[in-house]
Amino acid sequence: MSFGPPSPRPVVLLTALLSAPAVADDLFVDTQAVPQVLTATRLKQSPAAVPGSMTVLDSALIRASGARDVPELLRLVPGMMIGYGAANQPTVNYHGSNVNDARRMQVLIDGRSVYRAGLATVDWSDIPLAMEDIERIEVFRGPNTVSYGANALMAVVNILTRKPADSHGTRLKVTRGQRGINDWYASQGTGWEDGDLRLSLSGMQDDGFDEDRNGQDYRDSRRLNRLNLSVSHALASNQSLDWQLAVKEGSNQRPYTYQPVFYGVTENGDNSDANAKNYAGSVRWNIDLNPEHSLYVQGTAQHWERKQVWRACDAAMSFSPQLTRLWQLDPNYAEQVARNILAPPPPASPEKYALASEAQQQWRNGGSEQVCGDIDQSTRETRMDLELQDTLSLSDSLRLVSGVNYRYDRADSQTFFNGSLDDSTWRLFGHLEWRASEHWILQGGAMFEDARLSGSSLTPRVAVNYLITPRHGLRAVYSEAVRSPDMFENNVNWSYQVDNLSRTVFGQNSARYFVKTRGPGDLDQEHMRSRELGYNGYFADADISVDLKLFYDEITGMISEPLRNNQYIASNSNKARFSGTEAQMDWHLSPADRFRLTYAHVDAWASNAADRQMSAHNSGSAGWLRNWGQGWSSALFYYGDDALNQYRFERVDLRVAKQITWDRTQLELAGMLQQRLDDEPTSNVDNYYDSRHVLYFSAELAF
Amino acid sequence: MRLVRRWLLLICLWPLGGPWASEILLTASQDSPSVEQFVHALRERRPNDNVRFVPVDELGRPAKLDPAIRLILLDSASLEWRLTENPGPPALALRVSRVQAEKRLGKLRPPYLSLLWSDPPLDRQLRLTRYLLPQARRIGVLYGQHSQFLLEELRRAAQPMGLEIVAQAWPDLRDSRPLQTLLQNSDVLLGIDDPQLYSPKTAKNLLLSSYARQMALIGPTAGFVRAGSLASTLSDQDDWLAVLDRLLDQSPGKWPRALYPKHFHVVGNQQVARALGVETIDPLAAAQALALAEGERRP
Repeated sequence: MSFGPPSPRPVVLLTALLSAPAVADDLFVDTQAVPQVLTATRLKQSPAAVPGSMTVLDSALIRASGARDVPELLRLVPGMMIGYGAANQPTVNYHGSNVNDARRMQVLIDGRSVYRAGLATVDWSDIPLAMEDIERIEVFRGPNTVSYGANALMAVVNILTRKPADSHGTRLKVTRGQRGINDWYASQGTGWEDGDLRLSLSGMQDDGFDEDRNGQDYRDSRRLNRLNLSVSHALASNQSLDWQLAVKEGSNQRPYTYQPVFYGVTENGDNSDANAKNYAGSVRWNIDLNPEHSLYVQGTAQHWERKQVWRACDAAMSFSPQLTRLWQLDPNYAEQVARNILAPPPPASPEKYALASEAQQQWRNGGSEQVCGDIDQSTRETRMDLELQDTLSLSDSLRLVSGVNYRYDRADSQTFFNGSLDDSTWRLFGHLEWRASEHWILQGGAMFEDARLSGSSLTPRVAVNYLITPRHGLRAVYSEAVRSPDMFENNVNWSYQVDNLSRTVFGQNSARYFVKTRGPGDLDQEHMRSRELGYNGYFADADISVDLKLFYDEITGMISEPLRNNQYIASNSNKARFSGTEAQMDWHLSPADRFRLTYAHVDAWASNAADRQMSAHNSGSAGWLRNWGQGWSSALFYYGDDALNQYRFERVDLRVAKQITWDRTQLELAGMLQQRLDDEPTSNVDNYYDSRHVLYFSAELAF
Repeated sequence: MRLVRRWLLLICLWPLGGPWASEILLTASQDSPSVEQFVHALRERRPNDNVRFVPVDELGRPAKLDPAIRLILLDSASLEWRLTENPGPPALALRVSRVQAEKRLGKLRPPYLSLLWSDPPLDRQLRLTRYLLPQARRIGVLYGQHSQFLLEELRRAAQPMGLEIVAQAWPDLRDSRPLQTLLQNSDVLLGIDDPQLYSPKTAKNLLLSSYARQMALIGPTAGFVRAGSLASTLSDQDDWLAVLDRLLDQSPGKWPRALYPKHFHVVGNQQVARALGVETIDPLAAAQALALAEGERRP
């Protein structure tokens, strides 16, 4: 017998080792002062004990997917609906809602929200982030304002970039392919005694969709360049400072979509392209006060600049002071008069009728002549955010995360706000985790938010997890969440000042278009109530992880009206309900083979038909990753949605890669084929490709 | 008659060396409470022997000591002192790891020296890995210049268990790419007790990186288990007293040139186990299971 007689002593030793410095008494148990790293405040719940549904896209999966941007990658998340307004305007919705906007999902890059300040949306093409810098994406499927702030209404996409310490050396990558695909990436990482940095430069270019519904060339290509700098410093053994800078510059083509209001206008512009610049900076100071108590302070500043100046043509009447006045009195009547300018004005009050008659007279006296001018739809948005978060382990089974956040938003646009508008928001949050026993975990929290423009709200969240074993857990979650109306929805003051007119109208070279739209200013927050039952399990013998979820989500007070400048009347009068099931499975069949399946069944109901468009009844993905040895690997994925905005989407992607290693230099050559299995446009009637397949190749060198 | 009985008894007990009082001299660079406690415990365990401690710089040359003395070296300074010349008493060197010995001695094994390894034996650590994480097949191992020699032995131990060793050199500790590559290609990380790789300086990076991928680290030391490693085997003072007791009963001529202790414990970090979704670690049951497996392998 090699093991000494059984005694209770080892248990005593264990306790001593993990809790007290008494071990120094034992000459043979190492006294080397290794600091406690995985402390109670750093450790998170195991997958089976997470209070909600989570999908993690790891670096192997990200690479194997061959995806060129984040929305394409999110096809791997069950229930995620990927649509395209145009190729350079992807929209990502969890479970659904409007095709044109994705306003209900929080997106974070290393803790910094990239949800735009003024026009509550995420410009996926314009996020200053290269795919090659992403280490992992954690998608929290469900509302979680307690942990991620308001706007985490339907889901949270938490993008984590590679740590500078893991990015030493040089990486160079080029991608070339059909559809004008032309991407590049270069990064350099280095370290010193107590710090590391990574500088990466990248660019992206493609032609977008080929044709619109009429078979005309579709103007939706994109071109962009980015710079990212990520630095981390170890200030002391228990303190670190991380800071990042990100800059993005690029242009997104937009077709000319202006429809003249007046009869007989034949001239038109040829585009309404946008030039987008994004700047972001963040600093985070992490402090471990002791193994049971840690906190961080994070400050971020972001600036979005969209320059969109385009030439539009309409009749000179568009600038009539009488028509402008009529619009202010009664937009419906003004529109009727404008669209039927040759017909006698419809009956109305004497004042309106008089204005309409005057307008018709103007039409006859030169108002019908065409005039073109520059429309400036540019916006500048700024956000500053300061957050303090404290994690306190009160006991082995009780942990409290709490914090305070202040945010300042400012949006500047002559067209949308007739100047600038700002808002400030305070937020307090607390979340308690209580491991009541080996099997039961109770987690709950609340967030209080007070925004100057949209008022205050309190949202609670409660989750119960029952762990059958440490690797198999059942969960029941109830949560509420809010989304504050953005400045655009609530406070828009929309009118076009048209400059550089091709001829003088009403004695001016620059004039204001007669249509003017104002937001209601008194919109309330949207409210979401979500209920979820789920199971998460890991079968160690077979190396399979499974997550199943049943959900029932309701949104009330929903703001559904499309953002249009003729008669935008926003209200909280809409509702939506989403119910269904979701499943995901990840199976490591062998060290060389990995299978992954996701599926979502969503039943969507919405009082506004537009909010039902982006919910595929059945959607999912299937993937097989294989390492063939000798540097060869392949990945085969299938993605399917039965109807996204009425259109079926089915695609098979195949990526084949060969890795060649010399000493410490690695070269990876990869080919990617995407084959559509259907003939439908991609989620929008104008989104057609000439060919059902696309091929692109990449070469990546790391040394 | 009584005299004959006593002689008979002595003859019977002679192979165990029991009743002969030996002079046991423990030495280290300096005295400390833990050294004192150990000397005291050994003294209690061997009441017939003369057990004493003398700091190494008070000892003079090894050759000047009585060759019948049994030396117990408690640190590297005392080991260095004993290595200064061949003549002198036989010595049991404690608290010396394979990597330290490789650095200092290479393949040299002086006949007067018995090296009692302080690092957990690799096959035992592998068995612990298999016991706690039966699904893990690819065992990731970081190695440095002075620990590379262990890989062959590790592979030999892993093969019959159906485990694959994925080895990765980590030449520049500031550059984490080798660690990231290894984490990508393995199911669990096994720490070799190489103080250059596993030190207070590298602990944070090692543990946070592996935890970020929900991957466990096994070993290399109890200190690392406290810091966030899932578990390790280790031999504490009582285990070593049992081992020494047996060795001191033998004549120094029979002492092995090197030895891993048969007595050991398992320590685990329950918080980490919980966060990784691993079953609660029962150190006693784990140690018994490993001991049983070792017994089966070496009947």
